[in-house]
Amino acid sequence: MYEDLLAAMRQSIADGDQDAATATANQAIEEGLDPLVAIDEGYVPGLSYVGSCFSSGEMFLPDMMLAARAMNAAMAVLKPELARRSQERSVRGRVVIGTVKGDIHEIGKNLVGTMLSASGFEVVDLGVDVAPERFVDAAREHSADIVGVSALLTTTMTGQRTVVESLAAAGMRPGVKVIVGGAPVTRAWAAEIGADGYSEDAVGAVALATKLMEGAAGAAQG
Amino acid sequence: MRDARVGGSPFARLSPDECARVHEAAVGILERTGARLLEPRAVEILRRAGARTDGDHVWIPRELVDAALATAPRSITLHDRTGAPAMELAGRTFWAGPGSDCLHILDHRTGVRRTPTLDDLREGIALVDALPDLDFVMSLFIPGEVDGRIADRWQMEAMLGGTTKPIVMVSYEPSGMEDAIAMAEVVAGGPAALAARPFVATYINVTRALLQGRSELQKLLWLAERGYPFLWIPVTSGGTTGPVTVGGTLALNQAGVLIGIVLSQLVREGAPIVVPGFGGDGLDLRTMVDPYAAPDARGPAGALAHWYGLPMFSLAGGSDGKVVDEQSAAEASLTLLVDAVSGGQLTHDCGYLESGLTGSLSQMAICDEIVSWIRAATRPIDVSDEALALSDVDALGVEGSFLETDHTLDRYMERWYPALFDRGSFESWQAHGATTLAQRAAERVEALLAAHEPTPLQPEVAAEIHEIVERAAEAAGL
Repeated sequence: MYEDLLAAMRQSIADGDQDAATATANQAIEEGLDPLVAIDEGYVPGLSYVGSCFSSGEMFLPDMMLAARAMNAAMAVLKPELARRSQERSVRGRVVIGTVKGDIHEIGKNLVGTMLSASGFEVVDLGVDVAPERFVDAAREHSADIVGVSALLTTTMTGQRTVVESLAAAGMRPGVKVIVGGAPVTRAWAAEIGADGYSEDAVGAVALATKLMEGAAGAAQG
Repeated sequence: MRDARVGGSPFARLSPDECARVHEAAVGILERTGARLLEPRAVEILRRAGARTDGDHVWIPRELVDAALATAPRSITLHDRTGAPAMELAGRTFWAGPGSDCLHILDHRTGVRRTPTLDDLREGIALVDALPDLDFVMSLFIPGEVDGRIADRWQMEAMLGGTTKPIVMVSYEPSGMEDAIAMAEVVAGGPAALAARPFVATYINVTRALLQGRSELQKLLWLAERGYPFLWIPVTSGGTTGPVTVGGTLALNQAGVLIGIVLSQLVREGAPIVVPGFGGDGLDLRTMVDPYAAPDARGPAGALAHWYGLPMFSLAGGSDGKVVDEQSAAEASLTLLVDAVSGGQLTHDCGYLESGLTGSLSQMAICDEIVSWIRAATRPIDVSDEALALSDVDALGVEGSFLETDHTLDRYMERWYPALFDRGSFESWQAHGATTLAQRAAERVEALLAAHEPTPLQPEVAAEIHEIVERAAEAAGL
């Protein structure tokens, strides 16, 4: 019975239309639509659509930023309603992200954080120029499932290896997964340093994190 | 109309003094050497205006040249098929399109070089209609299955039916030109409408600067009388029909250009004549091929046309290479770039290979990409307050991210993005098939042809046009 509304929600994200996202969220509350349904069947599929368009080159980075903005606008309306109903959006996983020590580049890392949190992950962003021990401490403090390590320079990407080694030394591997990214980073490099995954872009990072969480769930059940 | 202005400091291969010197040389040639004009009406018009004549030989005095240059129009606007202004040929602008009459097509599906068909012609015109950075159409190919004497009527019918973009038309004999113009008049709704909002310009190649053929001159007189725009393009080839030097051939060729200007303005003051933006070139004396991408004469004819302030027709985007490869991409890029920064205005021959003998739709798609790139590289830069975004810079400070600002979200599409050139990462390029530019161009041609539906003519208009083709066939005894 809410098909039209859910379609309008998807469209508001695809269009990056904050006003439409806010309006459809308010309409959901007025009409009694479960906010979790609105998120999972309305806004999130819109975001996935934008993500796939970005991956295929049909949409641009600012389109994705607009979509994330619209997503946040909808969430701002729905969060109080979730609290009122004593509901919580299920957290798909906890991710600690940061740019390695000696590197102050942040655009790619921020984008990964935006996409992960819009997709239902809980993201702790440590910022830039992050020492390996801060990654370890934060992962422990926040019970992270995944640590995401960004590096833009060939001279700083070796820091990704140090983070993997530091987590291992702290006895947190392989429970805590490590994903790496950045312009010079390749799949081969990720394998060489013993990371659990690499993605070329922020959309791929969401897919990668989702896959790693499913793997972890499978392992826990097994 | 597209903003086709070329920004920045003008590039001019000839200085104003050098242009004046070439002009003086051309005037002197007309006074001393004169020219043979094989159409008696042209000789008579010049004789009555004060030129000395001896049979078909004419010596044109400076005063006639000066008077004609004073009345020749400085700007000509070509319209599209719907009557909307599409290209203003004036100033430092750059408009791009294909060439005409290739004898072969390099089939983008099979890679085979073969005789073109009517279907190839129609596909090519649909492609020109679809490609965003090509501004006008020409006849592309000579279709092999129709009689050569009336192939120009078939080409005109295909162009009128297949695109709304302006047409640069080539015909063989004056009768073919008259038929083609008659077809355009049907579309426009009569001669007055076509003259007021012309969407066809007739390309007239002139045999030699000082030896001008009968049909060329007849076309000029007929078009000038009616006020229809035409391109008056004498061909002088350095080392054979002109001096081997660029300057020498350019000056001699210019004498032939001036004859056309004088004649057209004597027939009708303000007759819309377009002069060459190319000239001074020559045969390759090693292979006897007429090269389309030679560097020597690139620029001076355009500088000369700008010096006069006359509308011009340029030549770039063609290659002497045989296939779509590194040579063809390099030659298309280099020639288009020089002509664009020269402000070459109406620029034809995108998609030519083999020195104009072969046409390729893939090469045409690559030229469209190159033109698009060049436009982004030469258009004026916006330095308004809004563009500088100083308030954003102040607000965001040293570490701010501009990615999420409204300024970025509003204006990011002003930057150029490729349709064919690959900018992905190595892994993404590999994942998409590790293609070359030529492969992607062929794919784009297929995708555009599959998706694009040119706006058709009204059925009764199309029928009337086809009757003109049929009548020409009957008249030719076919």
